[in-house]
Amino acid sequence: MLKESILYESVGELAKRIESKQLSPVELTEAYLERSQKYGPRLNAYARLMPVEALDQARAAEKDIHRGHYRGPLHGIPYAAKDLLAVKGVQTTWGAKPFAEQVFDYNATVIEHLKNVGAVLLGKASMIELAGGLGYNFASASLQGETRNPWDISCWTCGSSSGSGAIVAAALAGFAIGTETWGSILCPSAFCGVSGFRPTYGRVSRHGAMALSYSLDKIGPMARSAEDCTRIFAAIAGHDPLDRSTLPVDRAAFTYSPAADLKKHGLRVGWLTNAWKEYEPGVAKAIQAAHKVLLRHFASVKDAALPEGPWEEAAGVILQAEVASSFGELIRSGRVKELHDPQGRVGGYANLTVTGGDYTTAQRVREILQKKMEALFDSYDVLATATLPAPATPLTMDLSKGLSFPDPLGAIGNLCGLPALSVPCGFTGKNLPVGLQFLGRAGDDAAVLQAGQTFQHATEWHRKRPSLA
Amino acid sequence: MNKSNGLKINRREFAQRAALLSAAMVPAGFAFNVPAAAASAQLPEGAEKLSAESRVEAEARFQQIMSQYGSRFDSEEQKSVRDSCYSLQRSLERLRAFHLENGDAPAVYLKPLLEREKKPQSAPAAGAAPTAAAKKP
Repeated sequence: MLKESILYESVGELAKRIESKQLSPVELTEAYLERSQKYGPRLNAYARLMPVEALDQARAAEKDIHRGHYRGPLHGIPYAAKDLLAVKGVQTTWGAKPFAEQVFDYNATVIEHLKNVGAVLLGKASMIELAGGLGYNFASASLQGETRNPWDISCWTCGSSSGSGAIVAAALAGFAIGTETWGSILCPSAFCGVSGFRPTYGRVSRHGAMALSYSLDKIGPMARSAEDCTRIFAAIAGHDPLDRSTLPVDRAAFTYSPAADLKKHGLRVGWLTNAWKEYEPGVAKAIQAAHKVLLRHFASVKDAALPEGPWEEAAGVILQAEVASSFGELIRSGRVKELHDPQGRVGGYANLTVTGGDYTTAQRVREILQKKMEALFDSYDVLATATLPAPATPLTMDLSKGLSFPDPLGAIGNLCGLPALSVPCGFTGKNLPVGLQFLGRAGDDAAVLQAGQTFQHATEWHRKRPSLA
Repeated sequence: MNKSNGLKINRREFAQRAALLSAAMVPAGFAFNVPAAAASAQLPEGAEKLSAESRVEAEARFQQIMSQYGSRFDSEEQKSVRDSCYSLQRSLERLRAFHLENGDAPAVYLKPLLEREKKPQSAPAAGAAPTAAAKKP
């Protein structure tokens, strides 16, 4: 029986044990499965566990490794995939009742990439129905019910990659895959105290992933350290002929090598002064402490400001128009009424009234914003601030009231397809995690990941564990 | 930004314009199905911040949805749909107020589907004849 502390180790640490044959992938998979069976239901973390398939993959990995065919740091590492990624022959519900019986006959490209490097798919992580694209007001907006936060089970994990956040925080797997259209990787990462990375738009193929918003959706890793995110990103990034939105081969691929290929010079940080109007006191304290860490460990830290403009409005209109297309049939047919959340059942109708002219105007505003952000990154390698101004919210909270603050940073980051990373940077007085966000220039995912690693070399927040007993 | 150029309309005119605009958006022969509860409801929160034209447009949106799908909603849902129409309108009003030059192009461009992208693995051998796609202008 493996010790709990091993299950909380990073992918890098587990990989060392596996490569040196001190740890069996089968034993590790069995331990994560047992833990997932014990705590998964309590947290509502999984849409589905796949014990038979997982153990088959673990045995194959073990066999390969014993033959000397070690494929790299993800070989034999169990992970969970958000339940909007197609896995051949396995139900993929998109977290929503109308799609509860849906089964695909192919794997999403991300699943294929992870299969190729020998990672073990443990199960499908629970999620907010349709990734929240039609709106929702309550944490319970999911076929699996509300996902509970391992740090306080009366609190939510945030969405829409809810299960992915809970699984990583509670060490039910080595890592998880999430997706983000607007906040769905970063928010659960912050609420759950894990490291979550949203890559540059176009670096990770979305083939086989539920499409919510064609020009906003991204796929990324959620793990126990920024370095883990770097390793996982290297495995899943790359051009894909099956997803024409992916960048060309030379711009999509990402190669991991520990520290050696990080920027030679230290990073210049722009500390954002206008991302959030106000912080909850516990968050403010943690963020001030994080700022001091940056001052000590980065080449320069200077105040910076986001450009002002209707960025949230542009992102909202683009999202609504694209959802009107991606889920137009669900809305028009009336089957949208089968969704769990009252807002989700009706929120999509207004989307159908967005005109082509307004959508195009939003896209024109988007182009201007991209240029403004590109200019801002002439002065900074990364921008930093709190991932969110508030910690995890109670499960029963009406989110339209409790999480309704303006979010220009989320709008800008997603509208421009910029890479971003959330890393844990402290706790509130109620022992809820606080996240620090690094945002980088499009294509400079390396700078964002380096910033996270630098921060985590100087802090221990990412090593804290919740008490699940 | 208010694009009404100072023109103000009263509630009665507002209702008339909303009805006219709705009618224009609804196909001929399509019966209105405006629920009484919604029609008599107070304006959604924040609606007073919209210009008169925007309020007309938001109401027209709501009427359009009700005319097509109204029978699906109870009174609470009608209120939610109406709120979402006004919420969208607030975004559009701010978006449209942003100054754009005629030449400011949208962020997305068409990527023509080239033959080589359809078959990325099959790079032609050296000296091979050009593909049909390569011959096209």
